[in-house]
Amino acid sequence: MRFDEIKQVLADAATRAGLAEYEIYYQIEESVSAETLKDEISSFASGVSGGVCFRCIVDGKMGYASGELMTDDALEELVQKAISNARCIDNDDEVFIFAGSPEYASLPERDIRLNDVTAVRETALALQKALYAEDARVTDGTQSYALSVTNEIALYNSHGLSLSNRVGMSGAYVNPVVRDGEEAQENFEFGEGATFADLTALPAKGVKGALDKLGAGGVASGNYDVVFDGTQFRQFLSTFSPVFSAKNAQLGLSLLAGKEGETVAAKGVTLVDDPMRAESPMQTPFDGEGVATARRNVIENGVLKTLLYDLTTAKKGGVASTGNGQKGSYASPVAIAPYNFSVQAGDASEEELFAAVKNGIYITECKGFHAGTNAVTGDFSIESAGFMIRDGKRAEPIKSFTVAGNFFDLLKQIDRIGKEVKWGIPGGFTVFGSPDVLVKDVSIAGK
Amino acid sequence: MISKSIAESVLACAMSGGADFAELYGEITRNNSISMVDGKIDRATDNLVSGVGIRAFLGTRTVFASTSDISREGLMKCARAVAAAMGEIKAEISVTLRERFLPNIHPAAVVPSGVDARVRAELLRAGCFAAKEYDPAISQVTGSLMGVDHTILVANTEGLYTTDRHIRTRIAVSAVASAAGVNQSGSASPGAGMGLEFFDRVNPADVGREASRQAMVNLRADYCPAGTMMVAIENGFGGVIFHEACGHSLEATSVAIGASQMAGKLGQQIANVKVTAIDDGTILGAWGSVNIDDEGTPTQRNVLIENGILKNYMIDRLGSRRMGMPMTGSGRRQGYTYEATSRMTNTFIANGTDKNEDIIASMENGLYCRKMGGGSVNPLTGAFNFAVTEGYLVRNGKICEPVRGASLIGTGSEILQNIDMVGQNLETAQGMCGSSSGSVPTDVGQPLIRVSTITVGGR
Repeated sequence: MRFDEIKQVLADAATRAGLAEYEIYYQIEESVSAETLKDEISSFASGVSGGVCFRCIVDGKMGYASGELMTDDALEELVQKAISNARCIDNDDEVFIFAGSPEYASLPERDIRLNDVTAVRETALALQKALYAEDARVTDGTQSYALSVTNEIALYNSHGLSLSNRVGMSGAYVNPVVRDGEEAQENFEFGEGATFADLTALPAKGVKGALDKLGAGGVASGNYDVVFDGTQFRQFLSTFSPVFSAKNAQLGLSLLAGKEGETVAAKGVTLVDDPMRAESPMQTPFDGEGVATARRNVIENGVLKTLLYDLTTAKKGGVASTGNGQKGSYASPVAIAPYNFSVQAGDASEEELFAAVKNGIYITECKGFHAGTNAVTGDFSIESAGFMIRDGKRAEPIKSFTVAGNFFDLLKQIDRIGKEVKWGIPGGFTVFGSPDVLVKDVSIAGK
Repeated sequence: MISKSIAESVLACAMSGGADFAELYGEITRNNSISMVDGKIDRATDNLVSGVGIRAFLGTRTVFASTSDISREGLMKCARAVAAAMGEIKAEISVTLRERFLPNIHPAAVVPSGVDARVRAELLRAGCFAAKEYDPAISQVTGSLMGVDHTILVANTEGLYTTDRHIRTRIAVSAVASAAGVNQSGSASPGAGMGLEFFDRVNPADVGREASRQAMVNLRADYCPAGTMMVAIENGFGGVIFHEACGHSLEATSVAIGASQMAGKLGQQIANVKVTAIDDGTILGAWGSVNIDDEGTPTQRNVLIENGILKNYMIDRLGSRRMGMPMTGSGRRQGYTYEATSRMTNTFIANGTDKNEDIIASMENGLYCRKMGGGSVNPLTGAFNFAVTEGYLVRNGKICEPVRGASLIGTGSEILQNIDMVGQNLETAQGMCGSSSGSVPTDVGQPLIRVSTITVGGR
């Protein structure tokens, strides 16, 4: 069934049920991927999956129901389920089906399409070959993985608002495994690109990263000045991004509640959310409620300028929605999240950061964020690996230590910022990025 | 869901690219969830997931395609994509399926999706209100109650055509305690492979109170000191230590391609003699139990480690081909968009011979981890981390003041050797385990154990 037909069936059922306010949100994702092992494609996958979410207001409460089965019966059942779900809600917050923003950013003309099946296979094979050619210590277990994804979204509501968007990405991961005697190490690197020609730097970077980890030793517990690689600091941003949600703030679950206008970070720190960032594979002109998105400084020169709002929290807070009411998938309820969210680049090169630290630690790998962090308190204790910094230069590899502290303190202790924002892999409509950052006096637990 | 004759046509088409095996997996899953915040039910959702995944093998090469379009044309299109990606299209072979019916040993007396949202909301309300009433310092309570009704169909070119239905229920309550501008949190989230009759066994109010109890303990806790120390890890979710430190490294997914520290070690002493570890997908009504795995293989009780000796791995169909070893009922996937791979079910360290009181009494200085949070592991190096959500310092054999913010890090091979005392109060706890085939329900478990030395991250 096409979206037009789905829309009609649902709209008719909604009218029959006497619903005045409802919304239909449709999403369909297509993907293709190839994975290699040794010198051949070990696995190839393609998929089409999508569904529709129906939500409606009944006596001032919003009920949701969603599904992937596109038969008339299944769609009509969604309307009934949404009504019955609305009836069990007792939260008094005002809910909205949105009439529309005055204007929406237009998407740049770009070719968003699913990559060709052959190109995906060839990219994976070429990367794998290049990984083995890079160094004799590259060993079995090494894998390359190429993929392409497109995502189509359509939103229609009882006010007649009708919006659509299409996003997509092609890219590849390499996962070289290197062995030196008994010791094995691995590394992951991701790059965006539709063919091997776009990704030629990836194998060398991947293998070097794995080789650099060989022979890592421990580090003595203590407080160190630390350079967090941007690839790691963005994980802190991702993990603690819920503290910027107005919903969490209103519920007392964010320590940033009531701090708009106050200094919450070091003076040099500016945190930007840019839904239409030019290079982003996930450009998003409207959110999951149909509100227009916009670029914003969430923190500007250390001062918290705004939290992120959807329609309900904005009403409650007496402000306008910032267009951050996202739907992570068609089935997800609206939840507040950023788009392209990053610490703004500073001016320091990597060498300058190491020189500024003189003796300290460069952290290039952090693991277990889902377990070792608490977004409510800001506390974290994270398994890490990286390198010693000695005499202002990167020195020997180190592993098996934890870095511990508090995110809110970390923001205030950022001393210098690198000049290149390192972007991560999109999850839903959200991508996190960060330059390398130098933080003074960080607690390290090791030997 | 999909008739036998359609399945036969689809499999025949999927084989036509020269595969030596093809499999059809169909899914209809009804998820429902209710959430509560600030004393109010603020969300109620229903979602119906429905689709198929078709997979073909040629030796150890696999091709997989999935679609949410389960019309006959949708299925055939998906099957043709599989065949085309495998190789040159040859004449179709004929496939004959024989239906197999196995009894469901994990019955559900009250199917959650069949119960009105308002009735389910009452159960959640009871849990959240009890958490709020626990102490005036409890400033915020959030909770959710979810039900999953998961029906699968598996058909393959070995002639198998079978279905299974798995129902599970879970409640989760998180509490935040606040004092003097400091927030601390606690949570509890029990679940089972059963329907709403689960709440005859587990009182939602007890769940809420447990979440608040932890939050209150953490509110008076100071930061945990960092360093290397002796630790005792309590039962229940403490078993996450084995799940992360060893379980993932015993999955064929990493073992079969040599990307596991445990590859090639069958029959070797990989753990302290006190350690016996089991993965058992057959435990009645358990969170991680299923009648059959997602490849149609009945689940079984797999002894992984016996008295420290590595006895077996967890092996799915592809792993079985790669390793030349039998399948162990371990092929699992979140749903139709994922390919099955080897996964854990209910994985635990068995009861040992040490008395629990002797374990604590034996510790001069150390950390007692009463509740653990989640963790993660790199199967290649065995490096793991996990969070301690409720911990206490131990001095001279006595449990003393609480500490917060600790994490345990190490490698699987080290910690397995360092588990030098194993108690007798085996209990399991529920988790969602994420890996390449998606998020699947798993139980972790153990009795109280002592680890002679481990790095504790704190500050």
